[in-house]
Amino acid sequence: MTAETNNESTRESLRSGPLISVMRRIENLSETQYAYLLLTPVFVLLGIVALYPLLRTFELSLFETSLNQATQKFVGFDNYVQLFTGQKDRWLPGSSTFLPTEFSFDAMISSALVVTIIFSVVAVAFETIIGLGQALVLDQDFAGRRWVRAAIIIPWAVPIIIQGMIFFLMFHPSIGFLVEPLSNLGVLAERNTLNDPASALFIVTVADIWKTSAFMALLILAGLQSIDRNLYEVAKVAGASKWQQFRLITFPLILPTIGIAVLFRSVQAMRIYGLIDTVSGCEVVPSLSCMVVTTFLTRQGTSAAIAFVTAGIIGIAVSAIIYQQYREGV
Amino acid sequence: MATDQFSDSDERAETEGGPLERWTQQAIRNPERVYRALFYAAMIFFMVTTLFPFYWLLVLALTPQNRLLEGTFLPEVDLFGPAVTFPLPVPKGFNPAAFVEVFQQVPFHQFMLNSFALAVTTTIIVLFIASLAGYVFGRLEFPGRGVLMLGILAISYFPPAAFVIPLFEAFTGNVPVTLPFTEVALFTPPRLLNTPGSMVIPFSALFLPLSIFILTTFYSQIPDGLEDAARVEGTSRIGALFRVIMPLSAPGVATAAILTFISVYNEYFFSSIMATSTEAANWSPIVGGILSYQTQYTTQFNLMAAASIVGVLPVVILVIIAQERIVSGLTAGALKE
Repeated sequence: MTAETNNESTRESLRSGPLISVMRRIENLSETQYAYLLLTPVFVLLGIVALYPLLRTFELSLFETSLNQATQKFVGFDNYVQLFTGQKDRWLPGSSTFLPTEFSFDAMISSALVVTIIFSVVAVAFETIIGLGQALVLDQDFAGRRWVRAAIIIPWAVPIIIQGMIFFLMFHPSIGFLVEPLSNLGVLAERNTLNDPASALFIVTVADIWKTSAFMALLILAGLQSIDRNLYEVAKVAGASKWQQFRLITFPLILPTIGIAVLFRSVQAMRIYGLIDTVSGCEVVPSLSCMVVTTFLTRQGTSAAIAFVTAGIIGIAVSAIIYQQYREGV
Repeated sequence: MATDQFSDSDERAETEGGPLERWTQQAIRNPERVYRALFYAAMIFFMVTTLFPFYWLLVLALTPQNRLLEGTFLPEVDLFGPAVTFPLPVPKGFNPAAFVEVFQQVPFHQFMLNSFALAVTTTIIVLFIASLAGYVFGRLEFPGRGVLMLGILAISYFPPAAFVIPLFEAFTGNVPVTLPFTEVALFTPPRLLNTPGSMVIPFSALFLPLSIFILTTFYSQIPDGLEDAARVEGTSRIGALFRVIMPLSAPGVATAAILTFISVYNEYFFSSIMATSTEAANWSPIVGGILSYQTQYTTQFNLMAAASIVGVLPVVILVIIAQERIVSGLTAGALKE
């Protein structure tokens, strides 16, 4: 059949311009061929910006590159071994490490992997709780709902550089009015607040919660609004209080939504870079992405190894989520 | 079954004593008022916490530079007697000139224009590619559909740091791009650092998946009959996509456009690495603009605050106008798949 139609199309294309002949040829493609044809730009773009860089990063991580990047020496998995065992190359710029050198608070929060995990867990936990609160408020009907919703979403849309600047100014020791009360409470260091690893990690976490709770709220709100309202009518007739309605209807029904949102948000939080760079600098709070950037001009092999490990961790997490979704038949 | 659960928990609530019980009883007597009060308290709390940082920026921007550096520039208020004073966050002095100086010290409008140009270019590229892909995923059945879609989703969650080293290397334009794990040199790319290309290419890939998911959702909702009718009338396959499907899902296309625009305007990672100089002439977006107050005029906090307010205005306006689209787009993009 295809042979026939092809013949016909070539005969017809002789009568028309080259554009028409291309159109004819597209008309005669099978649905699968047509699908892959339309997807070509996606493949090209993601191939250039994602697939090639990922493979190349892995390749670079197997080499030790000299400071001026003139020579490369193949070292196999040495860069990885050094990251995880901490030999001569354990110390990275800013006295930060990939893994903690000892079991102490200071060593923990100067190591990239631990800092990234602490940040993600704490930030996402608070974002979920605050986001749930915001979603419950936005789910109500009240005058001026539009404005309240806009106000709650705005932080989500604030550019990272401005988000960083806001919190840099809010916690700057010489002008930030929150520094003194909070350092009296022992939450922040009194001097050099933004250069103290624990204080800076606290500020960065607060800044992230401020910005991203709204994102969580929107996802949870979608879950809330998909709940069948009749359930509440039934509950009311049965005499359930609002709290019982929340505990027995709302919460169980939005739990799957919250679960997925938490997982995706955690994966996003693991990528933290810009906020740290603007608020405190990557030397103070060395997240995984931070470390890739601080090392990549001077120690390319190490940098590539950290980048690939980060990609690996996130890749595994995302595959797990996707597999779960896939099994549930979404 | 549901009613059983309710009566069950009623019994439990009755056996519980203490303030919770008293509170519950009060709520039972007049539940609506209590919930209304709780609701307003929560709403005000969220409004204050989300909007206060902007107010703080305004305080800093309006306070004259010399007052800011005096030390504690905030007036102390002793509401509970002189022993307990606390700083009241209101500007000490009034100096709106900071908003003019922002543009005099640094060509901030050029940084913003750069951001706009980058965002618009990226949006156009993303919409074109994502329209084709959204059509494929939303309306066609073909082998590999599920796997491909999940693969694209996975890529969108990878950290930019995983891609940056080779991209930076390539955009520097010094060495040829080689096939990974071989010595085969393909071509030497032009030097793209400090040009729009070095940012638009990674941005497009980064924000493409979200638009694909939004458009897939919208395109799949268009009835087959409309497309078939157009095909019977003699439109080509691609013609049907651009003349029938895309116009019918204009709301979806607008949603994808707004979200891509905001995402690019938001972006920090590639913006700060690929625009290596904080000169507006080198295509540096607002990231560079705001950082240049930090590097050159370290102590000019009022200008940093004023520039932040100016820089945030476009997205504030966009959010107020297009909030419905943003909400639907984010939820469709993040949870549907």
